[in-house]
Amino acid sequence: MIKSEPKSILQFMASHYDLLRDLFDIQVKNNIIAKEALNVCIESYDKNIREQLTEYQILVEQNDDFAFNEPYLILFEFIHQQFKPLLPEEIEHFGEAIRTLFLKIKEGINEDKNILLERIEALSSQIKKFTNAVVNNTKSLLSESKDLKANNKKIDYQEKIHKARYLIENYISPLNTILDVNHSQSIYNELLNISQFTNVKRFDYIDESIRREFEKLYHLLRQVVKDLNLQSIILTNELLPLIDRIKTESEYLRGFHFYLTNGNCYKEIQPPKIFVPTRDNIYNRFVYENTKEYFEQFKHEDEIVVVEDSQQTSDWIFDKSKYKESLNKNLPVEDFFKWCESSIKQESESFSFDNFFMVTSLLFEDDYEISVNKVGKKISVSNENSELVMPRLTIKRQEDVSR
Amino acid sequence: MYPDKHKEIVTSLMEGKFVTVEDLLFETIKKNEEFYITFFENSFGFELIVNQDFYYLVSNETNENTSRDISIFFSILCYELDKNGKNFLEELNYSEFHIDEILEYFNNSSWTDVIKANKQLNNDESLKRQIGTMVKRNIAVKQSNDRYSFTKAHKLFIDFAKDLIKDNKNESIA
Repeated sequence: MIKSEPKSILQFMASHYDLLRDLFDIQVKNNIIAKEALNVCIESYDKNIREQLTEYQILVEQNDDFAFNEPYLILFEFIHQQFKPLLPEEIEHFGEAIRTLFLKIKEGINEDKNILLERIEALSSQIKKFTNAVVNNTKSLLSESKDLKANNKKIDYQEKIHKARYLIENYISPLNTILDVNHSQSIYNELLNISQFTNVKRFDYIDESIRREFEKLYHLLRQVVKDLNLQSIILTNELLPLIDRIKTESEYLRGFHFYLTNGNCYKEIQPPKIFVPTRDNIYNRFVYENTKEYFEQFKHEDEIVVVEDSQQTSDWIFDKSKYKESLNKNLPVEDFFKWCESSIKQESESFSFDNFFMVTSLLFEDDYEISVNKVGKKISVSNENSELVMPRLTIKRQEDVSR
Repeated sequence: MYPDKHKEIVTSLMEGKFVTVEDLLFETIKKNEEFYITFFENSFGFELIVNQDFYYLVSNETNENTSRDISIFFSILCYELDKNGKNFLEELNYSEFHIDEILEYFNNSSWTDVIKANKQLNNDESLKRQIGTMVKRNIAVKQSNDRYSFTKAHKLFIDFAKDLIKDNKNESIA
């Protein structure tokens, strides 16, 4: 029995909140507060409050150590929204109580009125506890999963995976089953059955006080179904994807870990095949640049000005009549080509084959008869670069021939 | 006769680039997938690898060293991102990284043996060159102010590491 005034207890808790918070953290971490830990904590705050802690029954002795008394623990969990997740078996325990009570209510519906009333009240109480447990569990699991995802404690990936798998197997999946509307045995579905039953009884039960109890239970259930539905949404939309994400990432991390460990990456593991760029590309990657560069070199070229040589060169002009007259005077000529050569050389020192061929064109004049001297050797005419070898031609006047 | 940007597509792939879903060329290849598979097979004997996020070529030859360096790069980067509480799958898909940030992850990494043994990763300058190689292959993209992002091609290298576990039955499962 607590002798102190409730107000004094609350004031005590407010004055020593920081110390109590530390003790709460120790309890959450270790499930117990060791005697030494309690002493260290009290000394660090320099507060002599050991007596009050037990007097107000905030702490209770457990052998030589201490633990938060259950109501205070629940209060602290609640005000910090820091709940220890309940195992599905613990939640299922409420489910069992709910199922049993509902069965008893149905079976004893026409029996003793008092026991029926108490069963309805007990059922309401179990439903409230069940709902609280589910809401708190979802909150704590979400918070733990987020912590795990953010890796606030910088734990190794293996430990992280271990924790994630542990949360999924032991808490999240079973909680999902409890709330699964498609699962015929789920507590959620049982609550829907109860709701249906109470909805009928709140109207058709003979006794008015029982009708009122059913009415209250029905309204409670409407709220509970709504709350649980919300939890189910959080579970489906947030918690399960978060855990899924951790699982996916873990598959990658296990791969990276394996690849990098023991220098495995430098051993037999073949990395993905990637392409070796070929040199003989069908399109030269620089073809555009090269072409542009080629044309640009002409773009800024200096203008070329052709300056004509001011010194006049005296061109040799073939004076046909003059040469023909000279030829006529010398007819018959035994060696026509040699005559052409010597005639040109008489006129000008620079002998060229161009001039030579022009003079030889006299051969085609109608006035002459030409014959090849078959006996004589061939003659040659040359300049500094080349030599022409030709037959010896005899040329006579046409009239001489006829004579 | 040829699809739009045919020259660009062929040139990119033949340079060893990944054409990723972020790229305009991706849609053209997708629309003409059968054509390009046959085109590369018949013209050069190369295989066009089709993935929902990217296309790339492979031949009988492979650039094993480059591929290994890239695989190690991503393995270490992801590991370090995760250690720092980052969601590495999202980061690689949607974030930009300043070069200094990447260098810091490698300098503070616990995979020192792997890093020291790799000439492409064992100092800041080499790392910068390695990232440059990845840019050339369109695995990374240089943004402004020394920032880099990664294209979907990064998936080839991280999925490869993930699949090692499936392949290796002896690896103890955590």
